[in-house]
Amino acid sequence: MTDLTADTYLPSEGESGLKRAKRIDRRRMLFWVLPPTLWFFVFMIIPYGMLFYYSLGSVDYVTFTPGLSPANFIKVFTTEPYLGVMLLSAKLGLFTAIFSAIIGYPLAFYLAFHAPETVKRFVYLLVIVPWWASYLVKAYAWKTILGTGGILNTMLIGAGIIDEPLTIFLYNQFSVTLTLVYIFTPFAVLSIYAQLERIPTSLIDAALNAGATRWEVFRKVVFPLSIPGILAGAVITFSLGFGDFVAPVLVGGPSSLMISNIVINLLGVAFDWPMAAAIGLVVITLGLALISVAHYLEHRFQHRL
Amino acid sequence: MRAFGNKALVTILGLAVLFFLYAPLFTMAVFSFNDSNYTGLPFNGFTLEWYAKVFANEQIIRSFGASVFVAVGVVILSVTFGLPAAIALDRYDFPGKAWFRRIVMLPIVLPGVITGVALLSFYVAIGLNLSLYTIMLGQGTALICITATEVFARLQQLGRSTSEAAVNLGANELEVFWKVTLPNIKSALLGAMLIAFSISFDEIAVTYLLTGRENTLPMTLWSMLRREATPEVNAIATLVVVLSVVLIVLGFAISRSRNALADTGEAAL
Repeated sequence: MTDLTADTYLPSEGESGLKRAKRIDRRRMLFWVLPPTLWFFVFMIIPYGMLFYYSLGSVDYVTFTPGLSPANFIKVFTTEPYLGVMLLSAKLGLFTAIFSAIIGYPLAFYLAFHAPETVKRFVYLLVIVPWWASYLVKAYAWKTILGTGGILNTMLIGAGIIDEPLTIFLYNQFSVTLTLVYIFTPFAVLSIYAQLERIPTSLIDAALNAGATRWEVFRKVVFPLSIPGILAGAVITFSLGFGDFVAPVLVGGPSSLMISNIVINLLGVAFDWPMAAAIGLVVITLGLALISVAHYLEHRFQHRL
Repeated sequence: MRAFGNKALVTILGLAVLFFLYAPLFTMAVFSFNDSNYTGLPFNGFTLEWYAKVFANEQIIRSFGASVFVAVGVVILSVTFGLPAAIALDRYDFPGKAWFRRIVMLPIVLPGVITGVALLSFYVAIGLNLSLYTIMLGQGTALICITATEVFARLQQLGRSTSEAAVNLGANELEVFWKVTLPNIKSALLGAMLIAFSISFDEIAVTYLLTGRENTLPMTLWSMLRREATPEVNAIATLVVVLSVVLIVLGFAISRSRNALADTGEAAL
C-alpha cells in the first residue's frame, strides 16, 4: 500500500522512465487482478479439482474409494436417466429462454419507444418488483392457480366450459415451463430494454424518411439491433431454467425431473458422490462453452451505436 | 420522433405482459387476507390472522434475520472481489485474461446446485462445519459476477481517458480509485449491491446444499411449502414484496440518479 502512494511516472536515476512506468503499471495491475484471482482459485478452482478427484473414484455403499476411472463420465453420456435428463433440462431451458424473450419483448419495446418519461420509471419499477418477490412463492402461486381446486379450474367450471376440474394444467412439463417463464421473464425484459434504449432515434427517423414502412423499420433496423439484448437475456434465462430444481418439485411431475434434482438425489438418497461430481464437471464444461459461444455471438451481432 | 409502431397495440401488449407478471402476485396477496385454511376460492372473508401468525412464528423471524445477515455478507464479498475484477478486466491486459473472464462469468450460467456440490466437497475436505458463514462464502463466490459485470459495463461506457489523465498528473492508484473511478461508477455499484442482496435473499440452490443448523428464509419457506402450505406463506410473500418495494424506492432515492434505474438488471454478458 505504501509503495502505491509513492507511484508516479517521474523518471528516477538509474532506470529509464519507460521501464519504471511499466513496472509501476504491472504493480497497479496486480493490485486489482490478484485478490479476485486468489478468491476464485480457493473457492472455485480447488473445489472443481475436488470434484474431479471424486469423479474418478467410486462408492461402495457409503465408502468412497479413490480411483482413476473415467467410468462415471461415460455413464453420464450412456446410461439413463443421466443423458435423458440432461437433454430434458436443456429443452426446458430453451423453452424458458424462447418464451421469456417472446413475452418480454413487447413490454421492453413499450418501455423503450412508447412509455412517456413520467410513466417509464414507474413501469420499470413494475418490472423489477416481481423479480424481487420470493422465487418459491411465485412457483407456489402457479400451483394454486393451475391445481384441480385452483383458480383456473374454478373459473372454467363457473363459466360452464368444463364440468369437472381438469388435471392437465399441473404436474407436467407444461406447468414447469410456464412457471420458469413466469419467473424469468423480467430478466428478458430488462436485457432487451437495455439494448433497445441504445438505438438512436436518428436511425429510426432516417429509415422512415428514406421511405421505409414502420414494419420495415422494425424488421430491418430495430429488431436486428436488439439481437444482442435478446441473446444476453436468453443466456441467463436458459441457464436459470436449465439448472432449476424448485419448479420440478413444486409444480412438476416425475416426468419433469431436471438435472439439479438428479444431482441432489445422488448426494442425498443414493450417496453417489462420484456420479454427482462427474455430472457437475460435465455441466461446468458446458457452462464454459456457453460463455464462449455467447461472447462470440455478442461480438458478431453487436453494432456500434 | 422516438415512438414508432402502432401505439395502441404496443401499449395493450405491454399491459398484457404486466398483467401476466402481476396476476399471480396479486392472487397471493388477496389470499393472504382470506379467512380460510386453504389457498383458493371461495373467498370467505377478510382476516389478518395469517400476518399475526407470521409475526408470532419465531422460526420465521429468526430465518428472516439469518437471510439478512447472509445477504449483507454476500454483498460485501461481491463488492470486495467483483469491483477489482471489473477494474482488472477493463483496464489491463494480463496473461490468462480470457480464462479470468470465463471464471468470473461462470457462476451466471452454472446451476447453483453444481456450485453447491463443488463447495460442499471442498468444505468436507478441509473439515469446515456448515453454518450461515458457509452459505455466505458459497453465495458470495457465485455473486461476485454481479458486481463484476455491472461495474465492468459502466467502466466500458466511461472509457479510460479520465483515469489515464489522473495517472499522468501523478495520482497514485488509490487516489485514482477514490477521486476518479468510484464517483463515476457509484450508481452501477449501488445497482449491483441491490441485485446481489436480492438474489442472495431469495437463493435456494447453493443454500440447500451448504446450510447448517440455522436456516435462511427461503429454506424455511421451502420446508413449509413441502409439508403443508398454509396461507401464512402468502402473508410472508406479500410482506417480502412490500419490503422489496420499500428497499428499491429507498435505493433510488439515495442514488437520486436515473442511471441506477437503467443499470439494475442490465446484463453485461
